[in-house]
Amino acid sequence: MTSLGHRHYGVGVPKFFWSHIWGEVLETKQDGGTAVETAATPQPNSWFATQSLKARVLLIVGAVTTLAFMIFSAKIRSTIVTVVVAVAVCAGIWIGANLLFDQSRERWQRFQSLVFAVLGAVVGIIIHGNGLTLGSEGGFFSWILGPLVGGLAFGALGYFLAGTEDAQQRLTVSVAGMAVVGLGIGLLLREQYQPGVDWVATIVYTLVFAGIGAGLRVLTNRPWQSGVYLGATLGWLLGFWAGADVGDGNVGTAILGAVVPAVLVGIHVGQTRNPDYAGRVQLDQTSRAWIFLGPGLLFIMVMLVIPAIRTAYLSLLDRDSESFVWFDNYKATFTDKASWDASNWTNMFTSWPFLIGVAVLVIAALIGFRQKELTGRAVELGNPTVVPLIAGFLFVCFGVFTAMRGTIINNLWWVVAVTFFSTAIGLAVAVLADGRGGEKIAKSIIFMPMALSLVGASIIWRFVYQTRDISKEQTGIANALWIGLGKLSTGSGIPTILGMVVLGIIVAVCASFMGQSLVRRAYGRAAVPGIALIFFGWIFIRYTQIIGGGIGGFKTNANGETVGETIVFVQESPYNNFWLMVILIWIQVGFSMVILSAAIKAVPTELIEAAQIDGATDSQVFWRITLPQIAPTIVVVVTTLIVLVMKVFDIVKVVTNGQFGTQVLANDMFQQAFNNLNIGRGAALAMLIFLSVLPVMVFNIRRMQEEV
Amino acid sequence: MSSTSSLSPGIASDAPEAALGRTGRWYAFIRSIPTWIVWLIVIVWSIPSLGLFVNSWRTRDAQTSTGWWAVNVDELTFDNYDQIFSARNSIWDSLANSFAIALPATIIPIAFAAFAAYGFAWIDFKGRKGLFIATVSLLAIPLQVALIPLLQLYVGGAKWTLPLLDKTITLVPDFDLAGETTAVWLTHTGFAMPFAIFLLHNYISSLPKDLFEAARIDGADHFTIFWRLVLPLSVPVLAAFGIFQFLWTWNDYLIANTMVGSNPDAHPTTILIANLAGDFGRNEHILPAAAFVQAFIPLVAFFALQRFFVRGMLAGSVKG
Repeated sequence: MTSLGHRHYGVGVPKFFWSHIWGEVLETKQDGGTAVETAATPQPNSWFATQSLKARVLLIVGAVTTLAFMIFSAKIRSTIVTVVVAVAVCAGIWIGANLLFDQSRERWQRFQSLVFAVLGAVVGIIIHGNGLTLGSEGGFFSWILGPLVGGLAFGALGYFLAGTEDAQQRLTVSVAGMAVVGLGIGLLLREQYQPGVDWVATIVYTLVFAGIGAGLRVLTNRPWQSGVYLGATLGWLLGFWAGADVGDGNVGTAILGAVVPAVLVGIHVGQTRNPDYAGRVQLDQTSRAWIFLGPGLLFIMVMLVIPAIRTAYLSLLDRDSESFVWFDNYKATFTDKASWDASNWTNMFTSWPFLIGVAVLVIAALIGFRQKELTGRAVELGNPTVVPLIAGFLFVCFGVFTAMRGTIINNLWWVVAVTFFSTAIGLAVAVLADGRGGEKIAKSIIFMPMALSLVGASIIWRFVYQTRDISKEQTGIANALWIGLGKLSTGSGIPTILGMVVLGIIVAVCASFMGQSLVRRAYGRAAVPGIALIFFGWIFIRYTQIIGGGIGGFKTNANGETVGETIVFVQESPYNNFWLMVILIWIQVGFSMVILSAAIKAVPTELIEAAQIDGATDSQVFWRITLPQIAPTIVVVVTTLIVLVMKVFDIVKVVTNGQFGTQVLANDMFQQAFNNLNIGRGAALAMLIFLSVLPVMVFNIRRMQEEV
Repeated sequence: MSSTSSLSPGIASDAPEAALGRTGRWYAFIRSIPTWIVWLIVIVWSIPSLGLFVNSWRTRDAQTSTGWWAVNVDELTFDNYDQIFSARNSIWDSLANSFAIALPATIIPIAFAAFAAYGFAWIDFKGRKGLFIATVSLLAIPLQVALIPLLQLYVGGAKWTLPLLDKTITLVPDFDLAGETTAVWLTHTGFAMPFAIFLLHNYISSLPKDLFEAARIDGADHFTIFWRLVLPLSVPVLAAFGIFQFLWTWNDYLIANTMVGSNPDAHPTTILIANLAGDFGRNEHILPAAAFVQAFIPLVAFFALQRFFVRGMLAGSVKG
């Protein structure tokens, strides 16, 4: 893959956060690390030939499969024909426009006649092609005739205009020419299209648009006259034609309707002058830019910008978009119990995540005081307050989320949990696997879920979460493990004892680490093993049934049978939310791992070596050097994940469809808009999603602005 | 996490450790714990997919009576794959639909975005920077925001009611695209554009300036430079974008479900498997096979073209 090798031209090398990432990814992914090229210029030889054998074979297989598909499937055939035709037409227009503007610098007269001819042809197509004028019933021929006549007429006009510099002459030619064109259109217009005029509308529209045109010109520091002419033209067309009762008029009104706007345009054109050479160069440059940008920007406008504006507008209308309700849709969303239900908020204080969270936060506070005495700072990267603080905060959040329910709360929960766990696990794998054997394989297996569709991933996890009656054998691995653990803890055979021994060792190791730290008077360092000790100790106690039943309430009854409950993962609210989040975490860990891993590899080794020579431990190196160095990348990962999670849809849709208290904004929006057909409410929800990611978007854009 | 990271080596250097007396078997064991943790995560991460894959080869009875880990040779069968590739549930049609969506939605944005990226990078005009930032800032817009108006556009065209008058004029005629795959790929094309322009611009703008100056001295115009110089040099980034976009459109569910959800003849594979998962129980046994077939193409792309894939994914993760 040598053509990818030169790092100077790696994708997006100079800008934004992936600058170093891609560089690194390239390097780590290269076959045997041999392909780093030092050549300063890229080699434009056949890309195909530079591919590895494997890639070439795969490309050929792909091409053959596609061909086979084409032959057997009419759908694919027609699709490919569509694509080829569309691309060819676009390319034709595009190349034509380029050739046309090639003329503009040196051959002004030819250029202007051609441009006018094109415009005339377009007018001809619109009028004649739509069958508005006489003689347009001739099928294909009428599609030729209209543009031909229009093109010739306008082309001639353009030719004469470009041929003279005299202002008076230009005005005369232009106005007379346009008047003839308007007269022709009015005379040729079919009787059933002759308009019965609404004069009030015509006058009002003409005046208003003329005013707008003039205003726009003044605002952009240009003479206002031409704005009046063009605005009046548009106003006249709208007021006279769109406001008229079509078919009620006569030849006179038809002529009037066509001649007035034509003459107005004529006046505007006649008042312009032929540009000098510098002007033409300017025109060439600008138009060239628009030719290149045009198709892309057109798609963006039609598919993104205008619909987004329209959604904002629709969100202020009622369910059938018939009358304004202003902010009622938003109000309804926030007052709906389904989206925001805080009535049970007192349950929070009895929920176990909240209690654990508070306990852990208390530990964090104690350590914080101790740290303040020792180092003068309670919280600092790398000091032992950090882990309990984060864990406690997370647990408290979960306590709040389980007590207060609703769509918006669910979304917040998704954001907190998925963002945190994806980043944390991704970072952990990136750090732990760094430089170890099998790093590549491990990372590509963890990254693999990124290739799957969210629907596919949801289906995979549906099978994991399958639940059957306790009396039957479980087919979902999650419940099988759960029941297995329960049975193990209540059993009496060798596996049970083995489990006890393993748990015992873990407890002992945690205790010894904690004891060691306490003996050394490093009280802060005792925190993490201490928390682990509480956790595993609790499991150990439940497992050995010293107090109460076994794990998960499993017991042995009088007949010696195991009694217990399966977990219905997707239905037991509120924790089913978390089981859904696990799916997205499973996918996104790969993403954060790859990005953070690349960032870690980009940390200068001198820094780390210097620290190690000074006697820093590995955890100090991580907290004090690696983490601050990769902090910007972590910010990028976190913001990216927040935006992604706010829009989460597929998982909820496929696994629960929002039932059992798992509704999220995006699925709510889909249901409201497309199932309940409540357009106003759906649009309001879409806007809410948009507004909630807006701050993050703005933040990212400002970053980018700094770097571009 | 810190309990493990405190043991992680970072970059191992022997001297300070020996000085601190960190030697011996026990210490070596402790040092290897991070590796074990990584491989534990790897196993946990691969189990769900492995389960699906194994189940897709097991008979219906086997799937409903025991877990996939209890697989034995007798229960292996081709029946599930036979069923989804034949008769009622034929996955062929939806595979064709997926291709019919993903191919145009990949090729057309590449062409248009390459033009625009070149325009932003190498043609001087007023307001270039502002326009570029405006374009790129659309990159993370949640696509939900555009869905309702787009569906309305495809169903009935666009009309405008004139203020003060009881008249409407048609801005965009009704092309009757609702329920057609065309609607899906048109939407994808629009949504892909800001990201594609951003990605290609980053690459094209970093090509050496000398190349363009030399070409211009030789009398090449923008069109020639673009066609003969920029396009051939940009193949790697075009490939990276192409792969990302192909997978994005192949794996998309939201847009497809919005635009063609009502027309079963145009359902792509994601809708097919989502619907199979929806009708509780009846088709549960062919679901693993169908889901695996749906994932087959992304997985091939993943394992075969990992380099492009990683780059495309990394770049595309910010997309709306």
